[in-house]
Amino acid sequence: MYKILEKKEVAMRNVWYKVHAPHVARKVQPGQFVIVRAFKNGERIPLTPIMWDREEGWITLMTFIRGKTTMRMANELKVGDELLNVAGPLGNPAEMKKLGRVLAIGAYTGIVEVYPIARAWQEIGNDVTTLHVTFEPMVVMKEDFEKAVGRHIVEPVPMDMTKDMRENMKNVTKRLTEKVRELLETEHFDFVFMVGPTGDQKAVFQVVKEFGIPMEADLHPIMVDGTGMCGSCRVTVGGEVKFACIDGPGFDAYKVAWDELIARTGYYTDMEMLAMQEYMKALQGGEQ
Amino acid sequence: MAVKRKIIKERVPTPERPVEERVKSFVEVNLGYTFELAVKEAERCLQCPYDYAPCIKGCPVHINIPGFISKLVQYRDDPHRAVKEALNVIWACNSLPATTGRVCPQEDQCEMNCVMGKVGDKINIGKLERFVADYARENGIEDELLFEIVPKIEKKGQSVAIIGAGPAGLTAAGELARLGYDVTIYEALHEPGGVLMYGIPEFRLPKDIVESEIAKLKRLGVRILTDHIVGRTVTVEELLQEYDAVFIGSGAGTPRLINAPGINLNGIYTANEFLTRVNLMKAYLFPEYDTPVKVGKRVVVIGAGNTAMDAARSARRFGAEVIIAYRRGEDDVSAREEEVEHAKEEGVKFEFFVNPVEFIGDEKGNLKAVKFERMRPIEERDKRGKRKIVGTGEYVTIEADTVIIAIGKHPNRLIINTPGLKVERGRIVVDENLMTSIPGVFAGGDAIRGEATVILAMGDGRRAAKAIHEYLTRKREENA
Ligand SMILES: Cc1cc2nc3c(=O)[nH]c(=O)nc-3n(C[C@H](O)[C@H](O)[C@H](O)COP(=O)(O)OP(=O)(O)OC[C@H]3O[C@@H](n4cnc5c(N)ncnc54)[C@H](O)[C@@H]3O)c2cc1C
Ligand SMILES: Cc1cc2nc3c(=O)[nH]c(=O)nc-3n(C[C@H](O)[C@H](O)[C@H](O)COP(=O)(O)OP(=O)(O)OC[C@H]3O[C@@H](n4cnc5c(N)ncnc54)[C@H](O)[C@@H]3O)c2cc1C
Ligand code: SF4
Ligand code: FES
Repeated sequence: MYKILEKKEVAMRNVWYKVHAPHVARKVQPGQFVIVRAFKNGERIPLTPIMWDREEGWITLMTFIRGKTTMRMANELKVGDELLNVAGPLGNPAEMKKLGRVLAIGAYTGIVEVYPIARAWQEIGNDVTTLHVTFEPMVVMKEDFEKAVGRHIVEPVPMDMTKDMRENMKNVTKRLTEKVRELLETEHFDFVFMVGPTGDQKAVFQVVKEFGIPMEADLHPIMVDGTGMCGSCRVTVGGEVKFACIDGPGFDAYKVAWDELIARTGYYTDMEMLAMQEYMKALQGGEQ
Repeated sequence: MAVKRKIIKERVPTPERPVEERVKSFVEVNLGYTFELAVKEAERCLQCPYDYAPCIKGCPVHINIPGFISKLVQYRDDPHRAVKEALNVIWACNSLPATTGRVCPQEDQCEMNCVMGKVGDKINIGKLERFVADYARENGIEDELLFEIVPKIEKKGQSVAIIGAGPAGLTAAGELARLGYDVTIYEALHEPGGVLMYGIPEFRLPKDIVESEIAKLKRLGVRILTDHIVGRTVTVEELLQEYDAVFIGSGAGTPRLINAPGINLNGIYTANEFLTRVNLMKAYLFPEYDTPVKVGKRVVVIGAGNTAMDAARSARRFGAEVIIAYRRGEDDVSAREEEVEHAKEEGVKFEFFVNPVEFIGDEKGNLKAVKFERMRPIEERDKRGKRKIVGTGEYVTIEADTVIIAIGKHPNRLIINTPGLKVERGRIVVDENLMTSIPGVFAGGDAIRGEATVILAMGDGRRAAKAIHEYLTRKREENA
C-alpha cells in the first residue's frame, strides 16, 4: 500500500508526511488533492499533496491536527507504516495562466496548500506574494516559500494562554483581514487566491470585494468519496449546486454562498467532539 | 425416468429474523434455507423442459433454473455433490449467485413466469439460488470448483483494463480471466463491489459475501487497483495504450438532486451519501468507526425505488420515525416486493402523491420541514406506461430533521468526459457488441443504461466479455 517514508512534526500541531504513492505522484497537478484513509475503521479525509517526485513516486502531505483522524495519524503512524488508501489525484488542477501580481493567502495550515499553486504561478511568470497568517508556533514552510515565490510575508499571531481557542482564533482572523486590507491599500494586485478555514475565507473575501479584485478560493466542504458520487461536498456557486470535488475545489469567491458553506462544514462538530473525547479517554486509559 | 409428481402448492418459507430484533441491528434479515428446506422447495419444481421453461426466459442471463434445481433433488443424499453440481450449472451464466439470489427482483423475472403460479405459489427460485451459493461458499465447494477451473485456463497473452468494480466490471473481469486474459480492474473507491458495497445495506447483502465474491476473482488472477480514478489517476486513452481492450463499468454514481430551494440545508442527504456513510464507512458503528452520520428523530425519504427502501430501513435502525414520500401512487413503487414488505413490517410509513417543492430550515441552516405539493394521477400514460401525475395546487408541510433524496442517479461525469466517447443524455452509447464510439473500448451496466439492476449489469459484463474475446481473437489472428 502507501508506505510512510518520512514523518515529522514540523511545527505545533503540523505534521508532515512523505508517502509512497506512485499513481498520484505520476499525475498530480497543483490544486489537486487526494483522499486518505489511514485506518481500518478510519474516515476518508481529503488532503493536499504539497510536493512530489514523479520518478521516485512519492508525495508529501501536511496535516493540521484538528480532530480524531489527524490526531490518530500523528499518534499512531510511524515511518515504515502504511496508509491504507491514498486515492487520487482528485479535483481540477488550478488554472495556469498569466494573472499578473498575485496575492496568495493561507491561514493556518492552509498555506501549505497554497504552495504548489503559488510556486507554479510564479514559475510561469506571475509575480506572486504569499501571505501566511497563523499562530506563532505554527509557522511552517517559510524557507520553501521564500525560494519559490517573489515575496513571502509571515504574520505570526501570539497565543494568549489566558483566553480560550475561540478568542485566539478571532485574533488570527483580525490580523488576517487587517493585513490584507493594508496590502491592498498600499499595493496593486491583479488577483487574490486563498486557502484556509471557510470563515476566514469569507472574511478575507469581504475585504477583497471592496477593492473589486478578482478572487478565487479553494473550498473545503466535507467530503466522502471525492469522485462526485455522494454529493456531500455540494456548495452553491452562482446560484447553482456544484460538487467541490469534481467541479472544484477552486471557485470564484464572488459567487460562493459563504454562509451556507460555513453551516455545512460545521454540521458534524458535536459528533467530531464526541469522537475526539472518546479517543482521548482511550489514550489515557491505555497509558495507565 | 418419468416420476409422477405430487403438486405441493405452498412455498417452503425461509426463516426471517423477528422484526423487533432486526430494527435494532444491521444483521441480515432473511436467514435462508437449510439443505433440507431447500430440497423440499426444490421438489415442488415441475422441471419444465429446458426449451420451454418460462422461468429461464424471464431470467435476464438465462440461468438454467430447472437444471440447477434438479441437482438438489437428484443428489439429495449427498449435499456436497448436490450443491457442487447445482453451482456448476449456475456459474455457466452467473458468477455472483450469492448476490443475485439476494437482490434480484425475482418476482418480475424468473418467478413471474413460473408455471407453478397457476396452481399455487411460484417456486422460490431466488432463495434456492442463494442457498446454493451460500452452502457452496461455507462448505469449501466454491474453492473446489475454482481449484478445478484455474489450472485449465490457457493464457492468451493479451490484457484488458476494466473500469469500475461493480457487478458489470466484476462479471466481465471474471469471464475474461477464465478465458485467459490478463485483467486489471481500476476502482475509484477503497473497496471493490460498487453499489453492492457502498449502496445495498448489510441487512440485505452482508459485506463478507461481496468480499468473498471478490476473493474468487483474485483466485482467477484478476488484479484490482483500488484508489484509481479513471479520468484523473489515469485516462481511458492511457489505458488503451497499455491494454489491448478496455471495459467501462463505472455505473451511475452521480446523485440526482431536487431543484428546490433549501436543497443544501444541513440534514439533507443524497441516498448515496447516506448509504455510503452507513454501509461503506460503517457509520452505524460510530464512534468505533470514525465516520459520522446524523439521523434525526423524523426522517423523510423521497423516492420509492430500492434505494429509497434501503435508506428508509437503514434510518429505522437508528431509531428514527421514517416516512417514504413518493410523488406517484403505490402501484408505481419500483422497489422489490420483499423490500417494500420488509419496510412496512419494520414500521416505515408511506405518503403517496406528494412532490417536494421547498426545504425549510432554521437560522442555523439545519432542515426543519419539507413542503410538498399534493399530486393527482391522470389517465394519460408516460413512455414507461406509468400514469402521469399533475400538481393540485394544494400543499402539505411535513416536519423532518433529516431528508434522504433517492430519486435516481446519473453516470459518473469523470468518465463520460472522455474525449471521443459518444454519450447521449449522460449515458455511454454502445453498439450491439457493447463497443463504444472508441474502438477497443466497451461499456455496460448502469453506465450505458442509467439506473438498472445488478443482473442486467452482470448480463452486460458477460456479453461484453464475449465481444471483447472475439475482438481480441481477431487482433491476435491479424498479428499472427
Ligand atoms: C480539498 C481539500 C483539501 C484539504 N487539504 C488539507 C491539507 O492539506 N491539510 C490539512 O490539514 N487539511 C486539509 N483539508 C481539511 C482536512 O480534510 C480536515 O482537516 C480533516 O478532514 C479533519 O479530520 P479530523 O478527523 O482530524 O477532524 P474532525 O474532528 O473530523 O473535523 C474537524 C473539521 O474538519 C473538517 N472536516 C472533517 N471531516 C472532513 C472531511 N471528510 N472532508 C473535509 N473536511 C472535513 C470539518 O470542517 C470539521 O469541522 C482539506 C480539505 C479539503 C476539502
Ligand atoms: C441503494 C441501492 C439499492 C439497490 N438495490 C438493488 C436491488 O435490490 N436489486 C437490483 O438488481 N439492483 C439494485 N440496485 C441497482 C444496482 O445496484 C445497479 O444497477 C448495479 O449495481 C449496477 O452495476 P454497475 O456495475 O453498472 O455499477 P456500480 O455498481 O455502480 O459500480 C460502478 C463502480 O465503478 C466505480 N467507478 C465509477 N467511476 C469510476 C472511475 N472514473 N474510475 C474508476 N472507478 C469508477 C464506482 O466506484 C463503482 O465501484 C440498487 C442500487 C442502489 C443504489
Ligand atoms: S417455471 Fe417454475 S416450475 Fe417450471 S422449471 Fe421454472 S421454476 Fe420450475
Ligand atoms: S465528495 Fe462525494 S461528491 Fe464530492
